[in-house]
Amino acid sequence: MTTQTATEPRAEILLIEDDAEIRRVLRTTLGAECYRMREAASVAEGLQQVHARQPDLIVLDLGLPDADGIEVIHAVRKWNRNLPILVLSVRANEGDKILALDAGADDFVNKPFAVGELLARLRVAIRRGASVHREDAEGIFRLGDIAIDLSKRCVIAKGQETHLTRIEYKLLQALLRHADQVVTHGQLLNEAWGPNHTEQTHYLRVYMVQLRRKLEADPARPRYLRTEPGIGYRLVTGQAD
Amino acid sequence: MVSLTGQGAGRFSQYFGSVAVVVLCTLVAVALRSRIEITSLAMIYIFGVLVASVRYGRSAAVLNAVLGVTTFFYFCVPLHDSFVMEDSSYLITLSAMLAVALVITGLLDRVRAQSDRVRDAELRIRSESMKNSLLSAVSHDIKTPLAAIYGAATSLLEEEDRLDRSQSRGLIGGIAAEAERLNRVVTNILEMTRLESGVEVRKEWHPLEEIVGAALSRFESALSGRPVTVNIPRDLSLVCVDDVLLEQVFVNLVDNFVKYTEPGTPLLIDAVRTGETISIIVQDKGQGFPSGSEERLFEKFFRGQTSGIRGAGLGLAICRAIVNAHHGTIKARTMPEGGALVSINLPIGGSPPDLTELAEGSTA
Repeated sequence: MTTQTATEPRAEILLIEDDAEIRRVLRTTLGAECYRMREAASVAEGLQQVHARQPDLIVLDLGLPDADGIEVIHAVRKWNRNLPILVLSVRANEGDKILALDAGADDFVNKPFAVGELLARLRVAIRRGASVHREDAEGIFRLGDIAIDLSKRCVIAKGQETHLTRIEYKLLQALLRHADQVVTHGQLLNEAWGPNHTEQTHYLRVYMVQLRRKLEADPARPRYLRTEPGIGYRLVTGQAD
Repeated sequence: MVSLTGQGAGRFSQYFGSVAVVVLCTLVAVALRSRIEITSLAMIYIFGVLVASVRYGRSAAVLNAVLGVTTFFYFCVPLHDSFVMEDSSYLITLSAMLAVALVITGLLDRVRAQSDRVRDAELRIRSESMKNSLLSAVSHDIKTPLAAIYGAATSLLEEEDRLDRSQSRGLIGGIAAEAERLNRVVTNILEMTRLESGVEVRKEWHPLEEIVGAALSRFESALSGRPVTVNIPRDLSLVCVDDVLLEQVFVNLVDNFVKYTEPGTPLLIDAVRTGETISIIVQDKGQGFPSGSEERLFEKFFRGQTSGIRGAGLGLAICRAIVNAHHGTIKARTMPEGGALVSINLPIGGSPPDLTELAEGSTA
C-alpha cells in the first residue's frame, strides 16, 4: 500500500455520471484524495473524453441518459484491455452487473456507497492497471496467516501444508490475479475448465467450498474467499484499504 | 361480464347437458305415465327446466324448455289428442316452461352480478387498507430518517460558526447513520414489492454452506463478540435454490439477531437433510419472540417490539415470501429455555447433478 501512495495521487479519473450531486460528492472526495478529476454526463461525452484525455481509470454509471453505460465498456475494450473501469450502479439486478463485468468492467460499487468502499475499490483497480504483483521475493502470496506458494501448488494454513489440486490451483491463481476484485462465475469457469464449460456453475461452487476448507480457519464464515451471490467470487486480502 | 354458464362448461357441453336432462325427464315420465296423472308428469319437466336453468344458463334452459314440452306432448299426452288438437294447451305449457327458464336464469344472473360486485368491493377495500398500512409504514420509516438527515444538514449549514468540532462530528455521524437506515428501509420495501409482483426465481444447485457463509460475511463487524456456530454437515449435498434470494433470508435473520439480542449472545445455524427436504434452524440465546406473536411475525409491517428498534417490519415477511417461492415453509417460536428459533424446511429441488463429469482427472 505504501509503495503506491506516491504514484496514485496523480492518477486521472474520468467520472461518467449524469447526476450532478453524485458528481459533486465524488469530485470533492476524490479531489481531496489528490486524484485529478474529469467529468462527463453521458455515454457520448464520456467516450469523447476517453479518447481526448486517456484517463488512468473510468468510474462509470450504468444508467446514463443517452445509452446504457455498458456501451462505454464495449467501446473502450475494443482498443484498450487494461484501462480500469469501475461501475457505479443503483441497480440491484445481478444480471446487469454480470453483463458489465463480463464485458470487461473491473469491479462494481453499489449506490448508495460509503466513500471508504469506493476508495478501496479505486485503489485496487488502479493498482491492477499498473500490474503490481503482491507475492514476495520467494513468489509466496500471504493472506494473514496463510501462505500460498503457487510455484509448488500448495498452501500453508492452520499450521500445515496442503497440496492444491490442479483445478483448485487454477481457481486460486485467477482469484489472486484479481485480488480484491470480483471475478464472475463465467470468468472462473473459463480459467479452470476452458470456454466449453461456462454453464456448469455448480462445479465451481463445489470446488470453492473445497478450497475454503483448505484455506479458511472457519470455512462457513470465510474471511478471504468471499461469495458475491449471483455474480461470482472475490478474494479479499484485507489489505485493500 | 357475468357468466351465464356453469363453472367452466363450454357452450356445447351446456346444450348437451340440457338435452341429457330432457332425456332423463322423459325416461322418468315414461316409466311413471301409467301410474300418475298427466299434470304431475308435466312437473317432472318443470323440474328439468329448473335444473337446466341453474346449471347450464339461459340458452340451454330455453332449449330444454322447448324440447321438454315437445317430448312431454309426444310421450305423455295420449296420442289421439296430441299436437294438432291441443295447440292451445301445448302453447300454454311451452310458455310456462319458457317463463320458468327465463325468470330463473335472469334471477341467477342478477345474483351472480351482485356477488361479483361485492367481491370486487371487498378486494378494493382490502387493497385499500393494504395501501394504507403500506403508506403509513413507508411514510413513518422514510420520513423519520429523512427528518434527521435534513435537520442535521441544515443545522450544519446554518449554525456552522456556533458548533464546536465534536458537535459537528456528531451531526455528520448522524447523517451517515440515518442515510444507512433509510437505505435499509427503502431496500426492504423495494424487495417486498419485487417479491409480490412475482419475481423470477432463478434456481441453481448451490452448497448451502456457501449461501450461509455469504450472509454471515456481511455482518463481520456486527457479529464480532457474538459466538456463531454453523453446523452444516460436510456431506450435505447441493440444494436447488435462488442463491441471491436465499442469502437474503439469512441476511434478514442475522440482521434481526443483531438488532434484537444483547452483544455477546450466541447464534447457532444448523442444517440436516431428511429425504428430499433440508431442515435449517437459526437459533439464538436471546429473549425470544414476544409471546403470542409467533404467527404474526411473518406478516408485513408487523413488529414484535417497537421501542427503540428500527425497521419497517418487513424482514421476516420477505423471508416468508422467499421461502414460499421455493415451496418451503418457515416457522418461528420461542424456546422453552428462552431464545428465538426460526426453522426453515426447503425441498432439495430434484436430484443433484452428477459431479464426476468435470471432476479432476477427466480434464486435468
